[in-house]
Amino acid sequence: MQIMVKKAQIKIQQMAFVLIAVTLFFVLVGMFILTIKFSGLKESATELEEKNAILLVTKLANSPEFSCGESYGASRINCVDSDKIISLKEDIYSGFWGVEGIEIRKIYPKESTKICNLGNYNDCNVIKIGTNEISGNYISSFVSLCKKELREGENYDKCEIAKLMVSYKTK
Amino acid sequence: MKRGYLQISFAWMFAIIVGIFILFLAIFATTKLIKTDQTIIDSKTAKEIGVLLNPLETGFETGKSTSLILPSETRIYNKCNTDGEFGRQIIKISQKSFDKWTETDVDVGFSNKYIFSENYVEGKKFYIFSKPLDFPFKISDLIYLTSKDKKYCFLDSPENIKDEITSLKQKNIQVNNCSEDSIKVCFNRNCEINVDYNGKYVEKDKSRMYFETDALMYAAIFSEKDIYECQIKRLMKRVENLALLYNDKAGLISQKECNSNLESELSTLNSLTRNLENSNNLNSINFLVEDINKKNDLTECRLW
Repeated sequence: MQIMVKKAQIKIQQMAFVLIAVTLFFVLVGMFILTIKFSGLKESATELEEKNAILLVTKLANSPEFSCGESYGASRINCVDSDKIISLKEDIYSGFWGVEGIEIRKIYPKESTKICNLGNYNDCNVIKIGTNEISGNYISSFVSLCKKELREGENYDKCEIAKLMVSYKTK
Repeated sequence: MKRGYLQISFAWMFAIIVGIFILFLAIFATTKLIKTDQTIIDSKTAKEIGVLLNPLETGFETGKSTSLILPSETRIYNKCNTDGEFGRQIIKISQKSFDKWTETDVDVGFSNKYIFSENYVEGKKFYIFSKPLDFPFKISDLIYLTSKDKKYCFLDSPENIKDEITSLKQKNIQVNNCSEDSIKVCFNRNCEINVDYNGKYVEKDKSRMYFETDALMYAAIFSEKDIYECQIKRLMKRVENLALLYNDKAGLISQKECNSNLESELSTLNSLTRNLENSNNLNSINFLVEDINKKNDLTECRLW
């Protein structure tokens, strides 16, 4: 009788171990599938951010905060009003365009980076919108950067070629 | 007489109970996974729609129309909130899967977009029409979202509106030759949507939405009142900030002998738009907007 009970106990233990092993196997397989799925999700999130930056950079110069409108003669497209964007408040416009950072960099003359503020406005070459540095992930397009200048008591329009850079987050 | 017993050993009983438990657990996990998958697809679609709206930013154009085709029957929920500096445009997507609409809690938001539509738009093909709003400077491009399945017919509209709609060639907007199933938009008679072009209001579902400029008139025609009023508040928040920006610009260029003399008007515009309650008050700002616009056209140094 005692031998029978011992045999049954061993069988139940065997069964329990097999079931635990099967459950663990499926849990591990599930976790593996989830890891693959979520890594793909991160990739597609980055792709979407990139797509957003690509489509935004082509149209950003026409948005009201950037565009020259008719303030430099006739209407111009892809023209950024330097006198306007220099006053864009970081705390207000942070995250407004859904990108990490926006930078407008004068192309000529090639000088070391001097970030513009209201104090050095006439002697700088980079206007930054957003606190983040423009790093590896950015999309750029060429724009004309215009502002009013004063020479011998008379004002004139000064337009220079610049690069509008939009950086996006990598997930 | 022999009695029959079903002999099941304890090992079998144990295996069956634990087996059922494991099966239920697997079914539960799979269902959860499918739901998560649907949420991912819905959120991705919402974000993609928002991203695809970027090219609708206009340059010189007075309007743009394009279409959007989705792979399955979709509901695009349009939500708007006025929190924060600019408020937020929220898009939520629900797609038909196994004849049921998926439910998502994920809202995708954008601060720089203004979509005017019903609470939700349903279909596979959607039309997107955008038009810039100048008040007095360009504020943004307004986006009007409609489904291919919902037709609008404009009756007795003024010539400029008729020309604009005809040139858009948007298939779900008809002019004068109305199909039976279309929603009638009337300018001089009584129908589902009534536009008083001179009185500057749109009457829909027994409620009035006031407008200034044609861009806001279309907005009132195509959208739900709650959405319209919320977007008006968001747009006025943008005017408030743009007025401040132009004021700063005016100060900056005045140092270069370039005077616009618009500083005081822009400050007034800034404070008036900050206190705007609803579209009914648009008219009270409009006199100032027109004045600013005239002055900017005539000034030595134009601000926009």
